[in-house]
Amino acid sequence: MKKVTTRAFSVLLLAALVVTGMGVYLFRLIRDGGDWATFYANDSIYTNGVLNRGSVTDRNGVVLAAAGEDAFHYAEDSAVRRGCLHAVGDLGGNIGTSVLSIFRDKFINYSFFTGTTTKGGSMKLTLDADVTAAAYNALSGKKGTVLVYNYQTGEIICMVSTPGWDPEQGVPSDPEDGAFINRAISSSFTPGSVFKLVTMAAAIENIPDIWDQTFTCTGSTVIGGQTVKCSGVHGTLTIEKGLACSCNVVFGEVSRQLGGALISQYAEKYGLTSAHTLNSDIPTAAGSVPAATGDGDAAWEGIGQYEDLVNPYAFLRFIGAIANGGTVVEPTLLYGKRCGVAKLMEPSTAQTLSEMMSYNVSYEYGAGNYPGLDLHAKTGTAETYGGSHAWFAGFITNSNAPLAFVVLAERAGSGYGVASPIANTVLQKAVEVLG
Amino acid sequence: MDIVTLIFGKAGPLLADISRYILPLVALVIVARCVRSMLRERYEPETWAYLYMTGNVMVPLRHWECILGRARSVDGQVDDPSVEKMHACLIRNATGDWTVYNLGKGETYVNGEPVQAGGALVRDADVLTLGQVSTRFVDLTEEERASLLKYRHAPGRRVRPGVTMLLLTVFQILLLLQQLTYNPDAGLGVAMGFGILATVQWSYFIVLRASGQTGFEPEILALFLSTVGMSVCASKTPDDMFKQIILFLAAIGLFVFMCLWIRDLRRVQRVRFYAFAAAIGLLAVTLVLASERYGAKSWIQVGSLTIQPSEFVKVLYIYAGAATLDRLFVNRNLIFYIGFSAACVGLLALMGDFGTALVFFVTFLVISYMRSGSFATVFLAVAGAVLGVMLVLTVKPYIMDRFATWGHVWEDVYDNGYQQVRSMSAAASGGLFGQGAGNGWLIDIVAAETDMVFGVICEEMGLVTGLCCVGSLLALAGFVVKNASSGRSSYFVIAASATVSMMMVQVMLNVFGAMDILPFTGVTFPFASVGGSSLLACWMMLAFIKGCDMRANASFAVKRPEKFSGGAGVDDAYPDDGDGEYYDDGYYGGGDGDYPQGGRAS
Repeated sequence: MKKVTTRAFSVLLLAALVVTGMGVYLFRLIRDGGDWATFYANDSIYTNGVLNRGSVTDRNGVVLAAAGEDAFHYAEDSAVRRGCLHAVGDLGGNIGTSVLSIFRDKFINYSFFTGTTTKGGSMKLTLDADVTAAAYNALSGKKGTVLVYNYQTGEIICMVSTPGWDPEQGVPSDPEDGAFINRAISSSFTPGSVFKLVTMAAAIENIPDIWDQTFTCTGSTVIGGQTVKCSGVHGTLTIEKGLACSCNVVFGEVSRQLGGALISQYAEKYGLTSAHTLNSDIPTAAGSVPAATGDGDAAWEGIGQYEDLVNPYAFLRFIGAIANGGTVVEPTLLYGKRCGVAKLMEPSTAQTLSEMMSYNVSYEYGAGNYPGLDLHAKTGTAETYGGSHAWFAGFITNSNAPLAFVVLAERAGSGYGVASPIANTVLQKAVEVLG
Repeated sequence: MDIVTLIFGKAGPLLADISRYILPLVALVIVARCVRSMLRERYEPETWAYLYMTGNVMVPLRHWECILGRARSVDGQVDDPSVEKMHACLIRNATGDWTVYNLGKGETYVNGEPVQAGGALVRDADVLTLGQVSTRFVDLTEEERASLLKYRHAPGRRVRPGVTMLLLTVFQILLLLQQLTYNPDAGLGVAMGFGILATVQWSYFIVLRASGQTGFEPEILALFLSTVGMSVCASKTPDDMFKQIILFLAAIGLFVFMCLWIRDLRRVQRVRFYAFAAAIGLLAVTLVLASERYGAKSWIQVGSLTIQPSEFVKVLYIYAGAATLDRLFVNRNLIFYIGFSAACVGLLALMGDFGTALVFFVTFLVISYMRSGSFATVFLAVAGAVLGVMLVLTVKPYIMDRFATWGHVWEDVYDNGYQQVRSMSAAASGGLFGQGAGNGWLIDIVAAETDMVFGVICEEMGLVTGLCCVGSLLALAGFVVKNASSGRSSYFVIAASATVSMMMVQVMLNVFGAMDILPFTGVTFPFASVGGSSLLACWMMLAFIKGCDMRANASFAVKRPEKFSGGAGVDDAYPDDGDGEYYDDGYYGGGDGDYPQGGRAS
């Protein structure tokens, strides 16, 4: 009998399996419960396939999207709706990186403890509806993106991507090409001359006599057998003026001195080639700056052409680090949520770059074009098939509105001519609203 | 309906909202009380006789089936080189007669007479000789045993079962309140259903409590699970409430019958052969007559009733598979049992009822492990492997599909992952406390009330209640293991162990299948899944758990020792035969002439 009794303990083995399995279930429930609960078939939060709870507002409480009594609604103002589309998203989950897709559990106020038994959540974003609308209008139908963020707090004030659609009307039957993509975070583009900031940083730290060198621009030069053309004939100039004029001859020569591998290393070090996550959950696209081997390719690499691809969000972080003394405050889209900091570059390098970007404006772009803004910036006109990407990236030093920005208009012309006025409009609005 | 509207019209919604948070806590307290009671009560073994060894060392015999020998793992250790490791076994029958059997190669004598193959009767003061060691067998008189009994503790003193029953009633009232508030289809029928449920359970409790029983934990846990099942039924098809309550009444009736039936071990043994035959027969008939549903041919339509015979075969399988100690040492019994198991699993595999086949297979492993001595273990492992391979070979394509989906259900939400993702979504959406009974949406999906019942419970009654349901069965398992040490006969220990094992396998397949931790096989959750056959079978099997409850006055499935001589009350309904030769080979021949000889092979 004792033997049989002892063998009865084998029953506990099965009990242990049950307990283990329940442990696995609980672990998964805690980890993934939010995803499970937001599944479209969950009829307790969807009425006829439409989310019946939750709201998203901007930093001032302006409703960007909310479940109403009868249906789900977006912002009242058309430009705000369209401008916030890619950041906020739509119910159909058409924009995978949007708040409504990624943070749907927060939106419906899911928690492990209460499930979806409580009322919907009200999410507050760092976006400013007015600035976003201004940015959307300023893009005036061009494909592109405007990203503005507070480089001291990390708050993203504006994140617009075009083209899109009016979410209140639903997805059009023939959406424009790339309408579902948030260009600010999900695409990478040829950077063109804005990339010269990276090359410049590498030169500051690696070419001891960079400040003593002089360069001569005759409109073009031959490096490593490749002809490097410039936008003008700049004559004899220093490195400061070379950056201000965005002289390809100067940066082709600097790039040759640095070598493709080193420039590639700097791009990597500044986070321009890696994928990031915004608020820990929103994935961003990686860039790529492959190391060119020959001098000719290295020259084009340092100028921001060659095979260089940069994601606007990653570039915003880089600009944010320059503005903030070398340390980037990670951007955040959720109001009241800080995402930490990361040291990207030496403070002295950041300081030097900052001064040079200020010089760009005073010497070349014209401070009068940006009234009231203490602007530090760099233009970029990236040559691609079918047109040039117009870039304008930089920051302003304003105690109420310490903002860094990246403006990109896809195949729309020159950075100075197209992107810089957009940036000015948006920044004026932002300073007005925040100041 | 007007009264219901009047009462619940205004205050109802508010009360129901509050009750959503109370309900899981009540469930938790009910299960916790049962667990506490089952684990904290003393499990004192009964003493039936003594062996006096040389030097006046006294060895108490704690069971009706005791092995004597040199090994440390036997019940009565006789440490002498002339004694085999497992030398002899002493078995007591219901009338108090002891018989000794020789197990190994060693010699055993009673008063100097060698023990033959059929065993020999041992009476009080007889000299029992194992090898060269003589011991004196001392049977306890009724008086002596009665005086020993006074020191045994009855359960129910620390944790009063009446209070737990009251809490269960509170649980039921809260569920009914929620059903009437949240479920637009629930009305008088549902209210009456819960009313009858409460009436039946209290009648059962009062009758047994009045007759001196104090152990009610297994029933309360089963009632708790059945109550949950009743609410699931009310959510799914309120119109079927009447049918469900009739089935519940039948289940209680069968449970009581089974408890009374297994009081007499000899009677149980006598019809074991019929159980074997009925198990195979039922499965064979099902295979021929059944119509295919959800890919498995396991349902038989009789008029408006749909019966799943494999559920009843579970009861028969355990009934026939458990064995008394003497049988465990006869190889052919075990071989017969393996053949029987292979036939059952094979027939189930042919039906395409993969889940149930798996349940049987694991139960087979548990029973055979408990039955087998060391000599058969290897053989059993091989037999098990062969059965396992058979299972894999006979799986149907739809099962392969489910295996393919396993772990990837979110990539197949429209087809093979349809039920799982919805179960997971609904369960997560319920949180710890649930949306309220009758307030869920998962229930509307096909088979939600059976195969996905854990999801329904978590959605409507909360994760806490869901965990309580799983915990109830774990508690029963712990209870059986704890009781095993004081079991009278290995038959009850094996039967109870097999029962809880079977139920735990079902829980695993049901819960983990719906939650994508195991492949989705469509097995019921014991007691809680809506469905007649399963409910009836679970309650019948609960009798096996009651049968191993050896605490004083705990279980009416166990005869009280003080009544053996008197023969009063319930015992009279099942008088003992008076046939002393309980395990004798000649037994089947005597008094039961019409009994088929084949029965001995089992």
